Formats: sequence, structure tokens, C-alpha cells
Amino acid sequence: MCDVCGCHDNKNIKEHKTIDVNQSLLKSNEEAAHSNRRHFDEENILAINIISSPGSGKTTLLEKTIDALNNDISIGVLEGDIETDLDAERIRKKGIPAVQLTTGGACHLDSVLVHKGFHSLEHQLNGSKLDILFIENVGNLVCPSFFDLGEHLRVVLISVPEGHDKPLKYPKAIRTSQVFVISKTDLLPYFDFDIEKIKKDALSLNPSLKIIEVSSKTGEGMNEWIDVLKKQKDISH
Amino acid sequence: MHEVSIALGMIEELKRIALENNAQKVTCVKLKIGKMSGIVTDSLIFAFDAVKLEHPILSSATISIEEVPLVYECTKCRKTFETDSLAFPSCPFCESYSLKLISGEEQNIENVELEV
Repeated sequence: MCDVCGCHDNKNIKEHKTIDVNQSLLKSNEEAAHSNRRHFDEENILAINIISSPGSGKTTLLEKTIDALNNDISIGVLEGDIETDLDAERIRKKGIPAVQLTTGGACHLDSVLVHKGFHSLEHQLNGSKLDILFIENVGNLVCPSFFDLGEHLRVVLISVPEGHDKPLKYPKAIRTSQVFVISKTDLLPYFDFDIEKIKKDALSLNPSLKIIEVSSKTGEGMNEWIDVLKKQKDISH
Repeated sequence: MHEVSIALGMIEELKRIALENNAQKVTCVKLKIGKMSGIVTDSLIFAFDAVKLEHPILSSATISIEEVPLVYECTKCRKTFETDSLAFPSCPFCESYSLKLISGEEQNIENVELEV
């Protein structure tokens, strides 16, 4: 019976039902991330997601990493940015295949975009195999930490000019990463930057975090960074 | 503002659930959001309310959020405790750092109320 006037018109009856869902809000991203990771595993590729604020030195670290690995390990790069092809161009100048992912406004990469980008990269590779895929995320210390891209290793950079208070202000980036690079350490003499405090704070959020101090400019700490990459490559595959 | 991306993903999922159940409308969505999830609930509701209007089946849907506290269990003394700090704590009873996270990272759709 119609519950408004009792007219017996069944068409007006509105039934409500509750459906139990119990699934992650990020389900579609998580599914695509799992499929990316499976694909990387099948291809024996170590995938590394690099996150930081804009200007912390992600692309420069990648350029110096390419120089240091000196063709021992084959590298491909996905470059995330809101606009422009500038970063991918810098990587290609080093002779490394790179695909620019422009989000057109979104402040982070997601796993579907990485899936598409990786297939474009495969076209550039023309059948040759990769050892390491670097995914440079959009410069942002907040949102990228929410989106699993299917990586095996997440690296967060915080540079000396940004200040030692950043881990406590951006806890999720620290908690979800396995490696923390303190970058631009050549600038330590010019900033009131407490390196012991930043390490202590980062470890209080994530006790198993590996911390490396690196200057891409002077090369200080690069050996340790390269060792971490090589060890991770051996562990993973 | 990752909440916009999360709201967009949620909308696609709600449309799929509504279609599967032959629903006329989605009336209410219940979420569980943990204190350590990093999702700002006000921003998520704001983003959802802004984008739902483009989808008639969702245009009158409301969100209800259960916030879940951050709770650890000490694996040594087996006691559980709640904390407000996001820093990795020690057990307030026996000072052990050997802790298991019980809740606080949730970012789930619990259930959906439909008009069929």
C-alpha cells in the first residue's frame, strides 16, 4: 500500500535496503596497483616511487643516479607533473627512456596513469628489458602518499632548505616510505637545520625507515644511495 | 586535496553498486575513517557534495562517517591502548616498542543505503 495516502498504488512505494560493502575507498586504485606490481614482478623490474615537495631535488637525484649506475643497470623513468614535458626531457638527454605523465591538475599520480605510462615506455624500449623503473611523483608531500602505484620501494626526499620540522608535519609520507633521503646536504652550513632531530622524528614515525644523507651537487652520500638501490634490486629479484 | 580523487573513486563505486542492485537512488553512504588515515573528513564530504550533483542517482546521497580511534596492542603484555599521537608510541604499561596496530588506518565504505 502507498505509505502516503493509502491508495493501494504500488508504484509509489519506496523501499530502502542497506547493502554491506566493507571495501576500501581506494579500491579501484589498489586493484590497478596490484596488477602493476604483478606485471613488474613478471618482467623482473624493481619499481621505485619517489615522492617529495616541489624542488627537493628528485629529478637531479635521478640524473646523478643515472650517471652513477653508468649503464650497469638499465633504467626507465616515468615523470609525473601537473604540466610540461621538462623533466622527461632532462632524463632523455641522459640517454634514458622516459615518459612524461601530466596529470592536468591532479596533485599526485595514480596507478591507472602509471599503467598507461608504463605501456608507452615499453614502446620506447622496443623489446629491451629494464632493471629499475623510477616513478617520479608530482611534487607534493601530502597526496602522493595515499596512492599505491604498484611500486616495490617508496623513497621520500626532504631537502635541507625545507627545514627539519617536515617529518612531523607530513607523517603519512614518512610512515609509508621505506627510504628517506635528506637531500641538498651541501647546504647544511647555511641553514639552521638540525639533522639529528629530523632523523629522530622520522624514526619516531617509522622505526624501520632507512635514512640516507645525500648531496647530488657534491656527490656526498651517493655511494650509500646506489648501494641501497643495488641491494634492493638483489633482494627483490 | 587527495579527498577529491577519493570522492571521484567513491562515486564510480557507488554507481556500480546502485546499478547492480537496480536502485533508484543512493540515499546514504556509511564510511569508516581511521584517525591515522590522513583523510580530512570535512574535505571528503565537501568534495563528495560538489561532485555528486553531476550524477542524478547520487544527488541526494548523504555521507555518515564513523571516526575510528588509533589503537595498538602490546605484543609483550597483551594490553591494548588508545593514543592521539601519530608518532610510533611505546606501550604505556610496559614500555615495549613491540606493538601491533589494531585500528586507526581505516578508509572504508561500510555500507550503502539504497532506494529500490
